[in-house]
Amino acid sequence: MLRRAKGNWTYFVIAALLLFSILIPFDWFLGRYTGLVILIGISTMVTVGLCLLMGYTGQVSLGQAAFYGTGAYVSAILSKTYGVNPWLAMLIAALATGAFAYVIGYPTFRLRGNYLAMATLGLGVIMWILFRQLSQYTGGPDGMAGIPYLSIGGFVFNTPFKRYFLVWLFCLVILLVSQNIVRSRAGRALRAIHGSEAAAESIGINVTQFKVKIFVLSAVYASLAGSLFAHHLRHVSPQSFDFMASVKLVVMAVIGGLASVWGAIFGAATTRILSDELLLRFGELDVIVYGLILILVMIFMPEGLFVKLKDVIAQWRLRYEQRGTKT
Amino acid sequence: MSESILEARGLGKTFGGLVALDRLDLAIEKGRITAVIGPNGAGKTTLFNLIAGVYSATTGEIRFQGMPVNHIPAHKRTAMGIARTFQNILLFGNMTVLENVMTGQHPRSSYGFLEAALRLPKAHREEETISLKAMRYLNLVGLGMYAQQEATSLPLGQQKLLGIARALATDPKLLLLDEPGAGLTTLEKRALADLIHRLSEMGISVLLVEHDMPLVMGIAQWVVVLDSGQKIAEGTAAQVQKDQRVISAYLGEEIE
Repeated sequence: MLRRAKGNWTYFVIAALLLFSILIPFDWFLGRYTGLVILIGISTMVTVGLCLLMGYTGQVSLGQAAFYGTGAYVSAILSKTYGVNPWLAMLIAALATGAFAYVIGYPTFRLRGNYLAMATLGLGVIMWILFRQLSQYTGGPDGMAGIPYLSIGGFVFNTPFKRYFLVWLFCLVILLVSQNIVRSRAGRALRAIHGSEAAAESIGINVTQFKVKIFVLSAVYASLAGSLFAHHLRHVSPQSFDFMASVKLVVMAVIGGLASVWGAIFGAATTRILSDELLLRFGELDVIVYGLILILVMIFMPEGLFVKLKDVIAQWRLRYEQRGTKT
Repeated sequence: MSESILEARGLGKTFGGLVALDRLDLAIEKGRITAVIGPNGAGKTTLFNLIAGVYSATTGEIRFQGMPVNHIPAHKRTAMGIARTFQNILLFGNMTVLENVMTGQHPRSSYGFLEAALRLPKAHREEETISLKAMRYLNLVGLGMYAQQEATSLPLGQQKLLGIARALATDPKLLLLDEPGAGLTTLEKRALADLIHRLSEMGISVLLVEHDMPLVMGIAQWVVVLDSGQKIAEGTAAQVQKDQRVISAYLGEEIE
């Protein structure tokens, strides 16, 4: 009886959330925030990759913006400068970024210990400099404008309303795919690596190979997000992919709860709203806020704000249901 | 002379100037329970890690079922049929009891990221086999009823059994147990001895490194004694116990 009530409750919440998210871009509802919610979707895609990499496998990347930026710039350059079909450009960008991550990841993961944080930190800085300096391709510090929209046949994604659904469709697919991975043999292998590399090795898991694979996957997610970003804003510039961008992505993953794929939405939304709406007036001081969030979350809820909230809600519900059975 | 599942010839390991293991010859007979004993620093753990593939040998070679395995990394040795447990257990704390054992099925299944991401039939099929087999191993060690609990919530004795179940889930031919009795109560040790006997009856060769003499003498069909990186004796438990060199290694020699 109790279980059925719980099942109904869950479906109801999911249905309500779904309806809510479908209504968001309508003008009479939250239409004026459509742009923000699109960016939340794009950030979520990158964050999901970070969750898999950091939360499940225990490998820290401090340069995820490099892959995000690579996706954006490859898409922008191919589709604008060389007139390649944007979808094809997106695919090429994803493949190229994946290959790039493999080249970085393979030698790094062969070292014992967590060298990925250092390697990716360096990578992030290098890529940011390249985006700025290769101005004949990237437009330098000012970036590139006039990137074409994505389109299917005659249907052009030329309004935020249309792009909202496009981006969140991508996001949803990535979330579902990631959830399937987490609940599989590969997902267990990743968590095993996080738990103990020696033990993982002892039961036949090729630790290096799995780390490389999940790193590549997270880079591909970031690249797809970058491509969508480029075709959404139609303008890319280096400051979207600087070190602070990588830090914000880590904050998103940490708030979202490193061990929950769906928490990525929550983490991305919180951080985006903070950085795009609330902290603008603080200018560069916003760094302090992110630092504080990281410290507080890590000390008081290392499993992430999202997971903590879920626990609290579950407790409330339990108390509520208990009261219900008494009367 | 019966067949040996693992053979070491002239096996040596030095760490800097320290000789941890000195040209050891060893044969582990198929289906038998072999114990390696010796005082602290005798080289037991080094031997264990050399067989498991954590260290690579400085000299000599190891053959598993006749195949040289010196240059084969640990995870591939597991796939070949060498499984191990850890002295400090090293369970996956972020998983349930059942998931720990399911993870052990890794080398006996093959579906990867793509099949998982798209939920292809192969993933579903294999996942069913994995959880069935994991449950079977869990029942074998007597932890079936704790399947859904968090692994690290179990008391130490049961954690040790879970560690063994996880290793068993790799379907090993040779099972290496690193001090399985350490920290267990007398009752738990009896259950452990019983389990090891049953594994042996199932045709799994067992090699254990152990400090607990009553446990070793009770279950080991062959005992190898190491001291200062060298083999000083081997034989049945009764033979080894009477060996003068073994007694002096453990108790020290009388000064005349």
